[in-house]
Amino acid sequence: MLDIESIDVYYGKFQALFDLNMRIGEQETVITVGPNGAGKSTLLKAISGLQPAKRGKITFMGQPIEKFPPHKIVELGLVYVPESGRVFPNLTVIENLKIGSYTRRARVHFKPSLEEVFDLFPRLAEREKQIAETLSGGERQMLAVARSLMARPKLILLDEPSMGLAPLIVSQLFKFISAIKKGGYSILMVEQNVVKALKLCDRAYLLELGTVKLEGNREFFGKEEYIRQSYLGV
Amino acid sequence: MKRLSFLFVIGLIALFPVVHPSPYTLHIATLIFIWAFIATAWSYMGRFELISLGHGAFLGIGAYTAGLLFNNAGVSPWVGMILGALIAAGLAGIIGFACFRFGVIGDYFALLTLALGEITTLVLVAFREHTGGSLGFTLNKVEPSLWALKFTNKVSFYYVSLAFLLAAWFLWIVIDRSKMQKGLRAIGEDEIAASTLGVRIVRYKLYIYMISASVTSMGGVLYAWYISYINPHTLSGVGPSLDIAFKSILGGMFNLLGPAIGSALIVILEEYVRVVYGAKFVGISQIAYGMVLVLLIMFLPRGIYGSLSALFKKMSGLSDRK
Amino acid sequence: MTVLILNALVNGILLGGVLALLAFGMNLIFGVVKVIHMAYGQSVMLGMYVIYTLTEIYNVPLISSCLIAVIAMTLLGGLMHLLVVQKLLTANRLNQLLALAGLIIVYENFAQVIWGADLRGIPVFLPVFNIGEVFIKTSNLIAFIGSLVVLGLLYFFLHKTYIGLAIRATAQDVECARLMGINPKKIYLTTMMVGSAMTGVIAAFFTPIYSVHPHFGGSFTMMAFIIVVLGGMGNLMGGFIGAFVIGIVTSLTGALASIEAAEIVALIIFVLVVLIRPQGLMGGKQTR
Repeated sequence: MLDIESIDVYYGKFQALFDLNMRIGEQETVITVGPNGAGKSTLLKAISGLQPAKRGKITFMGQPIEKFPPHKIVELGLVYVPESGRVFPNLTVIENLKIGSYTRRARVHFKPSLEEVFDLFPRLAEREKQIAETLSGGERQMLAVARSLMARPKLILLDEPSMGLAPLIVSQLFKFISAIKKGGYSILMVEQNVVKALKLCDRAYLLELGTVKLEGNREFFGKEEYIRQSYLGV
Repeated sequence: MKRLSFLFVIGLIALFPVVHPSPYTLHIATLIFIWAFIATAWSYMGRFELISLGHGAFLGIGAYTAGLLFNNAGVSPWVGMILGALIAAGLAGIIGFACFRFGVIGDYFALLTLALGEITTLVLVAFREHTGGSLGFTLNKVEPSLWALKFTNKVSFYYVSLAFLLAAWFLWIVIDRSKMQKGLRAIGEDEIAASTLGVRIVRYKLYIYMISASVTSMGGVLYAWYISYINPHTLSGVGPSLDIAFKSILGGMFNLLGPAIGSALIVILEEYVRVVYGAKFVGISQIAYGMVLVLLIMFLPRGIYGSLSALFKKMSGLSDRK
Repeated sequence: MTVLILNALVNGILLGGVLALLAFGMNLIFGVVKVIHMAYGQSVMLGMYVIYTLTEIYNVPLISSCLIAVIAMTLLGGLMHLLVVQKLLTANRLNQLLALAGLIIVYENFAQVIWGADLRGIPVFLPVFNIGEVFIKTSNLIAFIGSLVVLGLLYFFLHKTYIGLAIRATAQDVECARLMGINPKKIYLTTMMVGSAMTGVIAAFFTPIYSVHPHFGGSFTMMAFIIVVLGGMGNLMGGFIGAFVIGIVTSLTGALASIEAAEIVALIIFVLVVLIRPQGLMGGKQTR
C-alpha cells in the first residue's frame, strides 16, 4: 500500500533521514520506534508532504506521491495526525470533525462517518458543541484521531499519540487505536511508548539517527535483545 | 581607492554648474540632492529595521516652523531650521520614548508613525487661520541673500543642497563608526538577545529616531525654500511619508548611497514622464511609479543598489553583510 | 444640545454599521491571508467610480450598476491577489505593507487619470424622516440595514458552509488545514475575493451618501485600520464592536467640535491602543 524507497529528507542543510526504506501493506499496523531525534516525526512529515523528501520515491496505492502537495495526498486517502492533539482551537468539536471530511471523497459520507466516530468515541458526542480549545489533553488527542477517520482514510499516520498524556488516558487511547485497527484501517504509528505500541502492531521498525536499524514482525521485535535492553527495560 | 574615486565624482558634480549651467539640469539636480538628503535621513532609522511611515510629519514641522517664523517675524530660515529640528527631535523623543518603552516595534511601530503623520497633517490644516489650511501658503518675497536662503540663480541652491547632502552622508559615516551603530545592528537582528547582553535598546533607538527626525525636518525647510511654497499635503502626511520610504527602499536603504540613488531615479522618472506626457498625464507617471515600486518590493526587497552590491559581493566571493 | 448629541449618536450607530463591514473585510483578509490590505478604502473608491460611470455615463440602472461593481471589485481583488499578494506571502511584514501601500498610489492615480480630481456624485434623492427630534437620512438607514444583512450572510457563509469552515480553519492553523485536504492557495484567493467583493458592497452603500474623489479612500483606509486594531487584528467580533465605538465617537466629536477633530480623536484612540493594549479590545495573547 505504501512504499518508501531510499528517501533523503533535509531540514535546510541538515539531513534528518538517510536512504530510508519502508513498506506498509494493506490493513497492516506498523509502528516505528526509536529515540528522540531519530527522525520518526520527520518520516511522517515526509510521507504526508509537509516536509518533502529531497531524494527517493514514495508510492501510495500505486501513485508516486513524493512530490505531491499535502492536500492532494489527503485526497488519496493518506491522513496524517500530527502530535500533541493538534486540533483547530477555535472550532467546536463537531466543526473539527466536519472539516476532517473536507475532501470531496469524504464529504459525501459525512453523516455515516460522524455516526461511526461518535460510536467509537462517545465522549466526543457528549461534547459536540464545545470549543476544541477547552477540551482536556486526552480529549483533544481523541478528537484529532477521530477527525482523521472523518476523512475516510485508507492509511492513517499517527505521530506519538500518547505523548504528554496520563497513563490512564494512554490506555484508553490505545484501546481506541485497537478498535480502529479492527475496523480495517492501515496504520503507521510513531511511538515512544514501545511496550504498548508493540502489543498493537503487526510489524515494527526501529529508527535511529535517521536510518532503519531494525525491522521485523511483532514477535521478532519483542525477542530482540537490543530492543529488550534499550527500550523495554529488561 | 574607493574613497578617491568617490571624491573624484563629487568633484565632478561640484564643478558641473561651472561647465554646463543649464537651469533645467541644475533644477533637477537640486531636487535630487534635496530628496536624497531627506531619504538618507530616513534611512538612518530604516537601515536598522526601524521603519517609520510618518516622516512627513517632520518635513512639515521643519517647513512650517521656518516658514511661519519667516513670514510673520522675518526670522532667517537657518534659525528656523534649527528650531524646527529641535521641535522635530522633541516630537520624535516623545513618540519614540512612548513606543520603545512599551515595546512597540515592527509593523505596529510603522502603523503608529503613519497615524501620527496623519495627525500632524490634520493639526496643520485645522489651524487654518495661521497655516492657510489645505492650501498652505507661499513664502514672502525678499531680497536675495544667503541669510534668507533666497538666490537670484539656480546655481547657489544647487551648491547649498549638495552641501547638505554631503553633510548627511558624513553623518551617516559618523553613525556607522559609533558604538550606537553596533548596538542598533544587534537590535535589528535580535532585540531580545541584544537586551540581555546589556545593549541599551530604548536609548539607542531614541537617539537614532531623534537624529533622523531633526535632519529630516531640515530637509523640509530646504524643500520649502526651494519651491517657495508650503502645502500640508506635499510637505506632511501620508503621501510624502510613503514617498520618502519608497525612495530609500528603491535605492537600497542599507547602503550609504542607496537612498540617493533611489531619489535620483524617482525624480528623473517623474520628470521624464511629465515632460513626455505633459502635465495632464502626470497621473500616468504616478501609476507607473506605483507599479514599479510594487514590483521592486516584490522582487528586489533590498532595493536596486542593495541588490546590485550584494550581487557584486557574491560574485567576488566576499560575504554578504548588511 | 441633547438633540444634537442624540442625532450624532444615532448617526454614529448608522455609520457604525457600514464601518463594521469595512472592518470585517480587513479582518477577514488579515486573519486568513495574514496581510494588511493597505488599499482597502481605495478599493471602495474604485467601486464607487464604477457605479458612477455605469449610472451617469452609460445610463445603467443604479441597482444593476451596484451589482456589476461588486463583481468588478471581486475580480480586481482576485487579480490583485494573484499578481501581487501571492508573491508577498513569504516576504516580511514591512515589504507587504509597502508593496500594498504602493497599490494605493496606483489606484488613486488611476482614478485621477480616468475621472479627474473633481468630485463625482450621483444625485440620489432619498427622503429624510424623523422620529421625534432625531432626523434620519434614508440613505444612512439603508446602508445600516444593508450592512447588517450582509454581515449576517457572511456569518452564515463562514459557519454553515464547508468552504467557510475551511477559511476559518486556515486562519487558525494553515499546516493542519493542509492535512485536512484544504488547498491554502485556493482559500487565500477566495478570501481575498470575498474581502474585495465587500468593497463593492460598501461602495454601493456609500454612493447615495458621499461624492467620490481620488483621495476618498484615504481616510476610510485609515478608519479601517483604527477599528481593526481597536477590536483586535483578525478578530471579527472585535471589529464589529470597534466599528460602532469609532462610529459613535467620530460622529459625536464631529457634531460637537469639527470633522478634523473627529479624525484626530480617532487617530489618538489608535495611538493609545497600540501603545497600551495592542491586541485590541478582544485580542487574546499579546502577539507583538
